[in-house]
Amino acid sequence: MSEEYNVQDLKNKVDERTIDESAKPALTRTLQENIETAWDRLEAQQPQCGFGQTGVCCNRCTMGPCRIDPFGGSPDRGVCGAGVDLIVARNILDDLNTGAAAHSDHGREVVETLLETSKGEAQGYEILDREKMLSIAAEYGLETEGKSDNEVARALALAMLEEFGTIKNYIQFTGRAPEKTRQIWKKTGIMPRSVDREIVEGMHRIHMGVGADAANILLHGLRTSLSDGWGGSMMATEVSDILFGTPEIKEAWTNLSVLKEDMVNIVLHGHNPILSEMVVEASRKPELKKLAEEKGAAGINLAGMCCTGNELLMRKGVPIAGNMLNQELALATGAVEVMVIDYQCIFPSIPNTASCFHSKIVSTSEKSKVPGAEHMEFHPHTALDTAEKIIRLAIENYENRDPNRVLIPGKPTKMMAGFSVEAMLKALGGSLKPLIDAIAGGKIKGAVGMVGCNNPKITHDYGHVQLSRELIKRNILVVQTGCAAIASGKAGLLLPQAASQAGEDLKGVCEALGIPPVLHMGSCVDCSRILVLAAELAKALDVGIDQLPLAGAAPEWMSQKAVSIASYFVSSGVYTVLGIPPKIFGSANVMGLMTETLNDIVGATYAVEPDPAKAADMIEKHINKKREGLGI
Amino acid sequence: MKTVFIDPKHCVGCRHCELACSRAHQKSALPLNSESPKPRIKIQPGVDFLTYPVRCRHCNPAPCIESCPTEALYRDPEHETVLVRDDQCISCGICAQECPFGAISFVFSPELGKDVAYKCDNCLQKVKNGGEPACVQACKTGALRYGEANELVSEARKGIVFDLTRDIQGMEPENIPANMEAFHAVCAKLAEIGPMHSSRKSI
Repeated sequence: MSEEYNVQDLKNKVDERTIDESAKPALTRTLQENIETAWDRLEAQQPQCGFGQTGVCCNRCTMGPCRIDPFGGSPDRGVCGAGVDLIVARNILDDLNTGAAAHSDHGREVVETLLETSKGEAQGYEILDREKMLSIAAEYGLETEGKSDNEVARALALAMLEEFGTIKNYIQFTGRAPEKTRQIWKKTGIMPRSVDREIVEGMHRIHMGVGADAANILLHGLRTSLSDGWGGSMMATEVSDILFGTPEIKEAWTNLSVLKEDMVNIVLHGHNPILSEMVVEASRKPELKKLAEEKGAAGINLAGMCCTGNELLMRKGVPIAGNMLNQELALATGAVEVMVIDYQCIFPSIPNTASCFHSKIVSTSEKSKVPGAEHMEFHPHTALDTAEKIIRLAIENYENRDPNRVLIPGKPTKMMAGFSVEAMLKALGGSLKPLIDAIAGGKIKGAVGMVGCNNPKITHDYGHVQLSRELIKRNILVVQTGCAAIASGKAGLLLPQAASQAGEDLKGVCEALGIPPVLHMGSCVDCSRILVLAAELAKALDVGIDQLPLAGAAPEWMSQKAVSIASYFVSSGVYTVLGIPPKIFGSANVMGLMTETLNDIVGATYAVEPDPAKAADMIEKHINKKREGLGI
Repeated sequence: MKTVFIDPKHCVGCRHCELACSRAHQKSALPLNSESPKPRIKIQPGVDFLTYPVRCRHCNPAPCIESCPTEALYRDPEHETVLVRDDQCISCGICAQECPFGAISFVFSPELGKDVAYKCDNCLQKVKNGGEPACVQACKTGALRYGEANELVSEARKGIVFDLTRDIQGMEPENIPANMEAFHAVCAKLAEIGPMHSSRKSI
């Protein structure tokens, strides 16, 4: 693609693509130099097929592919006889399965690292949060008296791994949900039995000719999502805390300007912290700093990207360069020596972007090899060595950088992060009572868990930032994870000063506590922290989560993981507004089930509204209704 | 007079018509590949992520035929179809310029060693054998319909009058199903706040 732009057109195009000021110089460069980005590829994909977008395309067996006329004409059945409701329901379950599997497989890998650590076989790892390990071991009913840390770690890792299988038939962390919510799950038959079982059964259920009842398929989707939120994802969060420390409130820096002109820049991109934590560890070695200096650099600069970035930010305060749509733009600064990738949300074309510069992509997971990337496979027992090799590669590559092509914008933005539930409790003086009082007294009208991705179909960060602003204005506290939290960080909403943008009541609370009106709770598996917070609030009030003045939002979602997150929010009783239409519009019945009927089943529904102001209105209305229900 | 009626409300942008067109004009039985003939119908995105199948209307009199200086464009009178004589085309582009629908493009002819006018031929052979054009056959949503113009018009008229009278009675016009209307509404909002070409602000 080769287009010439005049100055004004170029500026307009960049402004339409992103509101992230730090991204604009690099984005402008991609247009001027024909460096392809996701926005260009989205344009090249137009028009996108309406059958796929509305979920009515079925490509499961070789009698197909089939598609249903979503306008109610013919054909109204696939070759096998599946009608539109079944096809749409199976497609959404397929996405949900994939998302739950991605989270849970990440979780499993962290638990496996705990197991290897307990055996002394993991290089560089240790139990950093012993207190948390002991309290979770107690939750699992494990004997801890007179046991060494390694013995407890081993028993806990094995107990968690057991929950991926089918013998135990129970996921321990579902016990953290309030009793009233658990009763709903039991009554509806969606209490998850095991992490892998629900996913595998979900895959079975979407096989050709397994059941034709759309509602029954969707209910299994809810159960699978619960096995993610209260299972695989929660294990990922908790065990990462055990190994790398439970996040504490801290200040850090964000946006593409965290890349440094005079340093060796290493971007850590993906989702799983187990290798990148070791890169942080290795980067502190004096001999590596010395080597970098010998090559003419002032030192080694690590910068996070996406949720690997969030994990390192939350625990280590490592600066974070950006979210999903920043990945190509980070390379387009011309200042990245190495981008280390693990898995999820990494553009398969990222080596092409890197090849426009001296930058190297290093893949590290056996599950996630990318042609054009250098593969340096990560294993816990050689983690530190691999991390050091990667850093050396980056240092060696520094001299290949063309200083004339370095384009690092302005200044980084300061942010506050690290709001784990534990950190919040500490900030509140040991109990959630001040928060509950603020909600009951109306100072905080309610809270919204805002999560999810970037999607080039909506102006980058606009959905997150605009909806956050609309909500805090209405005295609704916002907690965030994933790309949403990074967007807020770049926009300055994760600073205590941002309280000035909030309504008077929320502003007062934030100022009294010295916290921002938007709280960064972690990576996308850390949506489990939002569940724990909701559960604690509900238990304190002796109600179900569905009775709380809470809502979820995913203004810029794109991934299958987001389908799973939205679904475990809804099945846990949290009304969730999506900014991008899910692939269900082809079936009026599936839409009805998900946006209306579910309220009678789990006490919450999904809703769709791309316009941030309108989404905020819907959320406020919902929160007011819940407040009325509680008599507050 | 037989013709193809386009109902843009039912076009979902799937591009089945484009693929079917390529296949119908491919001489070999091979799967479609980069050598396959380019489609003569084009699904064009408009505002709010809506799409429209752009296809030759086979006008009479046809501005392309009228304007062609070399009589490269001509009409098959029996089937109301405007066709191209490749060897007479001088690649001047006048026909494409005069076409009110943007339905004529230019494609390289290896035999002639130059670009020549390229357009819908109504799948003349199929139609002569009593069939429908490939694009119409491929359309699963009723966005493309082929038939006697008067019959198609009569059907459309019924719908128009039905909607008008529903309106008089204070009823909502019977449009596309509510779920698809909701989909279009969401797409329209997305177009408004997104960076796409199909958004209102960038056209």
